[in-house]
Amino acid sequence: MKDKLIEITGLKKHYNGGAVKALDGINAEIDKGEVVVIIGPSGSGKSTFLRSLNLLEIPTEGRILFDNVDITDPNVNINLHRQKMGMVFQHFNLFPNMNILKNMTIAPMTILKKSKAEAEEKAMQLLKRVGLEDRAEAYPSQLSGGQKQRVAIVRALCMEPEVMLFDEPTSALDPEMVGEVLEVMKTLASEGMTMAVVTHEMGFAREVADRVIFMDEGKIIEEGTPEDIFTNPESDRLKSFLAKVL
Amino acid sequence: MDGIQAWFVQQFTELKDKFILCFIDGDRWQWIFDGLLNTLKITLFAGLIGVLIGIIVASVRSSYDKNSESLALRGGFGYHLLRFINGICQLYLTVIRGTPVVVQLMIMYFIILKSSTNGVFVAVITFGINSGAYVAEIFRSGIMAVDAGQFEAGRSLGFNYVQTMRYIIIPQAFKTVLPTLCNEFIALLKETSVAGYVGISDLTKAGDLIRGRTFEAFMPLIAVAIIYLVLVVILTRLVGVLERRLRRSER
Ligand SMILES: Nc1ncnc2c1ncn2[C@@H]1O[C@H](COP(=O)(O)OP(=O)(O)O)[C@@H](O)[C@H]1O
Ligand SMILES: [Mg+2]
Repeated sequence: MKDKLIEITGLKKHYNGGAVKALDGINAEIDKGEVVVIIGPSGSGKSTFLRSLNLLEIPTEGRILFDNVDITDPNVNINLHRQKMGMVFQHFNLFPNMNILKNMTIAPMTILKKSKAEAEEKAMQLLKRVGLEDRAEAYPSQLSGGQKQRVAIVRALCMEPEVMLFDEPTSALDPEMVGEVLEVMKTLASEGMTMAVVTHEMGFAREVADRVIFMDEGKIIEEGTPEDIFTNPESDRLKSFLAKVL
Repeated sequence: MDGIQAWFVQQFTELKDKFILCFIDGDRWQWIFDGLLNTLKITLFAGLIGVLIGIIVASVRSSYDKNSESLALRGGFGYHLLRFINGICQLYLTVIRGTPVVVQLMIMYFIILKSSTNGVFVAVITFGINSGAYVAEIFRSGIMAVDAGQFEAGRSLGFNYVQTMRYIIIPQAFKTVLPTLCNEFIALLKETSVAGYVGISDLTKAGDLIRGRTFEAFMPLIAVAIIYLVLVVILTRLVGVLERRLRRSER
């Protein structure tokens, strides 16, 4: 009844010849339409985990099945799979030399071979949804942080991904702009988008997550519903982490 | 008073006579003009070749620097190929930057392209290959200066490595290095003045030919110097305008 979209087994990522174990044996699943929020202290491997899912980091060991294809297989064309995995970064990473419309249309036009008209229509639709249709001609440097991140989200959506990966999407924002970005993410979740979100916004996790994963030292320590994690934490590490952030 | 005036008149007449001798008699201004044309041709086409080679070599070198770790992890043919090509680029940079351009020109003219009768062509190839080495390092620094997040954003959208370089990284790198690149081009203009070593009649050679024919050194050499100076000053001004434009568009 539930469709697995991503299945991770025995995922390890070592740096400096094994001296740093950023990921130390991760097993996890993400179902279609599920919102998974990943929490944990700084340096616990959350980013590395998320970035492994689209092979921005190449795992030292382990398998990642995406749509039942093992994308860690060197013979797999990873570019095809990355198209289906949108990613949103802490620092937006908009292309500063292109206006907003171009930021959003360059990938669909170049990779999916969409016509300019088709790509722009889709981009304008998405911009309208995040209330930025009047900024289409603006350059990233002319936008506020919150606006930039909303553009980054819809830029990823232009590729019509099956899953969206968020790595601390609100951490670089001024507090008054956090809400507008979370709002967009909530809408996306309610529309059934599969999402994996690394965040320190515990309110968002509680409200939107189907499942919360708590990581520490490259391992998944605990996972469960927001209720499980926030109200009935089991491990001491999670308890002390929650005591610090809540 | 009259004496001073007469002296000036005499000086002027002498200069005028020399001018006529050097540039008007036998239509020798034509030599200067043709020489200038050759100099501009060599500089322009060598510059274009240099930029082309530079972009390619810089892309290979920074690809290797960026990817060797992850490629080594995945192993395979791609890694060894990249390593090999990177090695060739490294060799090219070392040889070209480690030898004088005049020597390169002579080797090209008398050995490698011995069969070519077109001196300007040989000069274009030589200076193009030479300039490519310097442009490559300029580009490489530009590519390295582009934020790593730009690269990741490109890859995460599904661009492959080459597409990411072409559509996202290189345009940004190009913008940051454009002023430096133009200065390299100006340097190239002056450097081509050694083309006469192998008998190519560029601007400098034209001046020297006139000197040999008329036994008059001052006029032709100063004229040549002034022409270079004017070109360089104009180009430098243009680079200044360009720099200001770029800065403004960045905000
Ligand atoms: N390129 C790298 N080289 C060496 N160590 C790294 C590298 N990237 C991450 N690490 C280490 O891996 C661990 C996990 O990092 P990260 O996934 O960024 O944690 P988080 O996102 O949870 O803060 C940290 O100890 C970090 O120092
Ligand atoms: Mg992180």
